[in-house]
Amino acid sequence: MKEFYEELIENDLNPYLLFNSNGKVKSYNKEAEFLLNFVSIRELFELAVSNASINFGFNQKYISLKYNKQSYYAILVGYVNEDEIALRLYKVVSNHTTTINNTKLKMVNIFSLIDLSKNSTLLQSDLKIDELYDISIPEMKININDFLLLLNSCFEYFKDDEKISLQVHIKIGEYEVIDNKKYKIVALAFIANRKVEANNSLEQKATKANANIFFNQNELLIELPIIL
Amino acid sequence: MEKFITHSDASKKILNIAQMSSALPVNVLIIGESGVGKTILSKHILHDSSIFESKVLEDMIIKNKFNKDEYNELIVLNIDKTINKLEFMENLSGIKIVATSSIALNEIESMFAIKIDIPPLKERPEDLEELTKVYIEKANKIYDSNVELKDIKIDLSQNGISLKRIIYKTVASISMDDDEMMNSLEYFLNKKLEEKNEYRDLLKYFEIPLLKAAKKRFKSQLQMASQLNINRITLRKKLELYFKD
Repeated sequence: MKEFYEELIENDLNPYLLFNSNGKVKSYNKEAEFLLNFVSIRELFELAVSNASINFGFNQKYISLKYNKQSYYAILVGYVNEDEIALRLYKVVSNHTTTINNTKLKMVNIFSLIDLSKNSTLLQSDLKIDELYDISIPEMKININDFLLLLNSCFEYFKDDEKISLQVHIKIGEYEVIDNKKYKIVALAFIANRKVEANNSLEQKATKANANIFFNQNELLIELPIIL
Repeated sequence: MEKFITHSDASKKILNIAQMSSALPVNVLIIGESGVGKTILSKHILHDSSIFESKVLEDMIIKNKFNKDEYNELIVLNIDKTINKLEFMENLSGIKIVATSSIALNEIESMFAIKIDIPPLKERPEDLEELTKVYIEKANKIYDSNVELKDIKIDLSQNGISLKRIIYKTVASISMDDDEMMNSLEYFLNKKLEEKNEYRDLLKYFEIPLLKAAKKRFKSQLQMASQLNINRITLRKKLELYFKD
């Protein structure tokens, strides 16, 4: 019977990790192994310890987390002795489908849209932007309306900063698969001098604009498939 | 088409945004105080499209008098005046809208991919200078006059609208000859007489401008009395009556 539960946890869609008291991983399932590509063991251990119940037992907490492309809406932390503590993260079920409504796409120069959004959003702002653009990026099909709304919100997000850098380039060796077709990816990295916090509204706007958005330390990263 | 003045860096950027927006299939919202140039800028984005006052258009939509299929693009003025902004915009979906508003509109913000905030004229001194010059030139041409900037007390309460109004009024009044001035005064006094004013009430419309002009021109009451050839005591009494503060 015990083997069956172990198998169940091993194949669970939600990540599970068991730490010893020093923060070393004693065991983990397949999903946790994948998760550890994007987050350190130390960070997950601290997450478990800081959310553990005061006494032995299990503590559920609804908490919004995002590692790489995956979001989590809750965690479960449990310990029944002083030597081990377990952490389980609950995935947000995404309704994001990798299909694109072609009727809303128009061929456009991405740098024109960046310029337009930057100029209109930052008209009365003193934000300085160091731009590093790969101008070899070709004209591509974009949902102009939704992409501009996303860009506006990104510039708005940094409006009160003193300085950021904006790097736009094609990701080498990475592709996004949409409707069984492989597309190259253009990355827009807004890099600030402060930590960038996850933002729900930006995530929703990114989804509408067929883009992925990541909040990595001091970087807000947007990835968009290059549809020609 | 009236030109959007671009002598300041801000207005150069604004015109650039407008021109770039022109070719894109997205809605544009132009925000700014009365008289900053919202309508003129909207015509730089949509050159030949129909223009509607938003209240009129909303009324047409409610009464089913607006045929959406007839329009690909529209300029909608004063969209902040509509009653139900969200429903109004939904009724116009599929049409490229360039709208103007005097205030920011959070509830329909997401329906405009481009927002242009035009600062008031007092924050754009280079534009103010140029616009003043243009209006003075035009007014001088119309009234065959030679009025200069120093003769005009600038009014920016409604930006370009009040600026134009005060310049035209000043140039018109300065350029009047005797007959025109008397005709104008007669027209004015005629209206005042309708309000049952007496001779004594109306005298101030003649005396105050006269005394103001004399005060500016002469350094002392002695000089004023001598030039105007009136008794000094009478002059002092009148000055006390009209300028006691």
